[in-house]
Amino acid sequence: MNPELHSVECREALERLYDYLDRELTPELEEAVGRHLRECSACFRCFEFERAYLRFLEARVKAQGAPPEVKRRILHQLFEAEEP
Amino acid sequence: MASQPSDEQRRRFEAEALPHLDALYRYASHLSGDAALAEDLTQETLWKAYRAWDQFRPGSNVRAWLLTILRNTFINQYRRRQHQGETVDIAEIEPYAVFREVQDVDPEARFFDNLVDHEVTQAIDALPPEFREVLLLSDAEDLSYAEIGEVLGVPVGTVKSRLFRARRALQERLYRYAVDAGYIKRRTP
Repeated sequence: MNPELHSVECREALERLYDYLDRELTPELEEAVGRHLRECSACFRCFEFERAYLRFLEARVKAQGAPPEVKRRILHQLFEAEEP
Repeated sequence: MASQPSDEQRRRFEAEALPHLDALYRYASHLSGDAALAEDLTQETLWKAYRAWDQFRPGSNVRAWLLTILRNTFINQYRRRQHQGETVDIAEIEPYAVFREVQDVDPEARFFDNLVDHEVTQAIDALPPEFREVLLLSDAEDLSYAEIGEVLGVPVGTVKSRLFRARRALQERLYRYAVDAGYIKRRTP
């Protein structure tokens, strides 16, 4: 089933997909999209798929950071000018 | 240049700014595509931020402030070394194509979990820089659309359209990796 072909409401919900998942909608619009998702299983499945994708992405990119020796060097250089 | 920070300023800087060191290094790595350069950029950003700590407005987003300093430093000093990626054609992305492909076999998107980290990093770095940045500021650094707009100096509408296209392009590419690696079977037409 292609969710965006389902109805005008589906199209409107899908246009706001990321705004909804990113919690960037006004409370009224968020409620309207949420209501549509409770009524439309095609859109609900599409939103859940995208939510899973964003969760995956967030977990993977956040796992990357500075290696410990890099951190040590950076902190040492940052404060060393201050030491007496 | 601001004077030597006081003990109190140093204490606040350590408590509020240093927890973002990983975020700065991560962003610098994806901007520059080079570990040594990422270290220099992170170092320089923290040094500038420490010296200018009295200019930071308490209550505003310290991570966004630090990332802005990092980005400006990069643009001013290293722009010609910007990591170009291979620039996927981001205009060609068809919305919901991946969901349509997998909705019957993997509607919960489990196949993503099989991808290894370097495949994900590679796919992010293949995005054109202006799309890569928006994606990282949103999905790695949790900035709001408005905060991303401030860091990049672009309107919120631009942030939204870039983020939409960046996420789609990345999803498409990760899906292709997953198909090629056999993590998921391509639907037979």
